[in-house]
Amino acid sequence: MSGAEPLVQPELLSHGTIECSDLAATRRFLNEFLGVDVVRPLPEAQYLWKGGPWSVVCVCVPDSEAKEQGPQNRFKLSVPRAADVDAAHAAALQHQSTYGIRKVGPVEEKAGIRSFTLQDLNKHWWEITNVTQSYYDEIFAKGR
Amino acid sequence: MTVALKTAPATTSHVKPTQLVSGTFVTTDLKRTRRMCEELLGLECAQPEPGTLLIRERGHQPDGPLASRPYWVLEAREVPTIETPQEMLNHWGVFVSSQAAVDAAFEKINARQHDFGLGRVQKPRFRHGSYAFYFVDGDSNWWEIEHRTPELLYTALREKGDQH
Repeated sequence: MSGAEPLVQPELLSHGTIECSDLAATRRFLNEFLGVDVVRPLPEAQYLWKGGPWSVVCVCVPDSEAKEQGPQNRFKLSVPRAADVDAAHAAALQHQSTYGIRKVGPVEEKAGIRSFTLQDLNKHWWEITNVTQSYYDEIFAKGR
Repeated sequence: MTVALKTAPATTSHVKPTQLVSGTFVTTDLKRTRRMCEELLGLECAQPEPGTLLIRERGHQPDGPLASRPYWVLEAREVPTIETPQEMLNHWGVFVSSQAAVDAAFEKINARQHDFGLGRVQKPRFRHGSYAFYFVDGDSNWWEIEHRTPELLYTALREKGDQH
């Protein structure tokens, strides 16, 4: 990058967003299935998080269906081991109808990183992966 | 800013994640996206392979002020066309230190709108306790520059629990 000061001096990449059409059903999926933490500070929105100060804001759009996203717009959840990815995949298939999971992709492995994607009840995509922050640390350390 | 990391262990859920580690989006021009992230948004970028860009806030390098602190990564992937255009409700949030910083960012970004190939740049306004504005980049990805008072930080709201 150039040596000039950037236009913005950010403190934090603070959040991403998703939409939902049923806050309660979505919260059940997020809590019981995905294992993320959720709080509802506003009537029309709940915030979810896991492991850091950043959040995903889930906005309820009750009068219209949540916009369908493509799989290349997704959030990734890290689990500790490759076996945890496999266990999550088996659970997604077993409980697919319970939580309204629309699609469950196959488990894939690339360069030692195991993962699969699923499309939730609101047509958003999630990836369960054993990638860790140290993986990203190494990439940023190379500094390309 | 205060950084509380209170998070319940995922012991009873079907998936047991330790971290929301990344969010992804697409672009038709990775070079343009990198320039926007670095020169406009002040973020750190790395390109591990052709067609992929990783983005995080600055300061996480080993000798940086945020070293050893957790972070999440935005991952941009280059595609020929945007098959799912994004809307304002699907955006990425960037937190700045004050309302004045939001206003300053708006003035600078609005003035460089065409230089960075941006679409709409909305004026700042208060909404749900945050003071913020939105802009859309050349690939329909929306970005929010926001400031929140301490009691309305995302981490503070976690501590308060459900309000509704």
